[in-house]
Amino acid sequence: MKLELGKILIHDICFAEKSEIRDGVLYVSKEELEKIVMQEEGIQSVSFDIAKPGESVRITPVKDVIEPRVKVEGPGGIFPGMVAGVETVGSGKTYALKGMAVVTAGPIVGFQEGVIDMTGPGAEYTPFSKTLNLVMVCTPVPGLEAHDYESAVRLSGFRVAAALGELARELQPDETVVYECSDLKESFEKYPGLPRVAYVQMLQSQGLLHDTYVYGVDAKKILPTLLYPTEVMDGAIVSGNCVSACDKNPTYIHENNSVVEDLFAQHGKTLNFVGQIVTNENVYLADKERSSNQTAKLCRMLGLDGVIVSQEGFGNPDTDLIMNCKKIEAEGIKTVIITDEYAGRDGKSQSLADADVAADAVVTGGNANELVILPKLDKVIGTLAYINKIAGANAETLREDGSLAVELQVITGATNETGFGRLSAR
Amino acid sequence: MKQKNVIVTNNPLVSEKQPGNLPVEYLETDYMGVLKAARDKIHSGATLLTHPLYGSVKPGETPYRSLLIREGGNKVDLQSLRLIEAAMETCRKFEERTGLFGAGSVRDFQVVDLSLLMSALGDFHESRQTLSYK
Repeated sequence: MKLELGKILIHDICFAEKSEIRDGVLYVSKEELEKIVMQEEGIQSVSFDIAKPGESVRITPVKDVIEPRVKVEGPGGIFPGMVAGVETVGSGKTYALKGMAVVTAGPIVGFQEGVIDMTGPGAEYTPFSKTLNLVMVCTPVPGLEAHDYESAVRLSGFRVAAALGELARELQPDETVVYECSDLKESFEKYPGLPRVAYVQMLQSQGLLHDTYVYGVDAKKILPTLLYPTEVMDGAIVSGNCVSACDKNPTYIHENNSVVEDLFAQHGKTLNFVGQIVTNENVYLADKERSSNQTAKLCRMLGLDGVIVSQEGFGNPDTDLIMNCKKIEAEGIKTVIITDEYAGRDGKSQSLADADVAADAVVTGGNANELVILPKLDKVIGTLAYINKIAGANAETLREDGSLAVELQVITGATNETGFGRLSAR
Repeated sequence: MKQKNVIVTNNPLVSEKQPGNLPVEYLETDYMGVLKAARDKIHSGATLLTHPLYGSVKPGETPYRSLLIREGGNKVDLQSLRLIEAAMETCRKFEERTGLFGAGSVRDFQVVDLSLLMSALGDFHESRQTLSYK
């Protein structure tokens, strides 16, 4: 499977009469995008705003962050099962708008998550302070049920991102990267001396505001399955979860998965990147057993030497993580696990809710309980009405001088467990 | 003693909706109180069917916890015991701030808690052969 990823560098975004990309500037027609969003019957109104790196802007509560892409050649379309049909993606040619993101924000339930600061100390913790952000805030029709509201906002975000990606279809990319992953037989023959390594990605899959979708299928209903890693670059995995935003994977992170990127960089040099296994993190304990059994079985079938496992979230997924690690190691396959920590504000408490001696190679994305002070910023996109109610915030959160004292938990992507963020430990 | 599945909860919405038509043991207690009640049942032979730390709304934020357990076993299930003890240990790490939330949020916490339980019950009903989880 071979995918050419063409990068269209976006240097600026501004509102205009007509949506287009010209000389690296994305011009956005609010009216055109509004029509797309208003297709959803649950949405009463939508507003658009732009937040640029370095501006004194805070975006909250963030639901998802999405990178616009378009499928230029090859089967299928971007966000299969959500926006496009369900053809298998990951081959041919795809263009991505680099340097920007669509951010969906707005209240769905009364306790809310996700802060992106475009400047100041908070900006250091979120990867999305570096992107030009087109923010859309949706309000629901009165009485809309929370599940329907979540679904309407989620789908609207993908449609807007796909429509913006479409603007790049006839453009010439500024740079192109080619990703190629061999089939099993071919890869055995091609790299006989290299260790066979796969990526096991655990997906949050528990219910409202805690879900992830694979080709449109609710991940809690899948058995672990095998993907070509290029499939995720076409949006085969999308996010429907944002609670405790620091260690959740917005769609942007699925499209630009750091583990996939780094394994491709070593593919054919120090290792043979065999494929990507996706599995879930369900509430029901028998599901955890079943999924970790199947994951270990797939690892054995692939004749692997090593596996990198990334977690999404904290608490009960620690149990899935340790089950995966133990069972894969029991097959004689070395594992490295990527997690984050809830080690208390002083960092002295037990970091994970589960542990095992087999988990002897661990990478951390940082301590989500760490307290940070975020100074008052000039402008808020979304609303601060919920800021005392987001995970990691407390009664004294919104202080007299307008600054916020919060745990890293509230910052979108701060302790990401695919290595997308900047925190770790040695 | 016959084995039976029971929802132990302090969420009044779960008690009202009775998901899956399962018997509900409603407790007037807090998050930790539900964990303790489940631990006591595990001491008497019950098995956990759902993970006690399900969901990303942390202890101290949501006041609600709903656990599906199987009662009537005749020995202590060590896996269940280990999970519930670890959950109680984790719970102690989080500051209590459930009192901060207004009435609207309380209802939302109930809805999310119910949704997560229903997700688990969906699996439960679709795959009854896994009821005897060990």
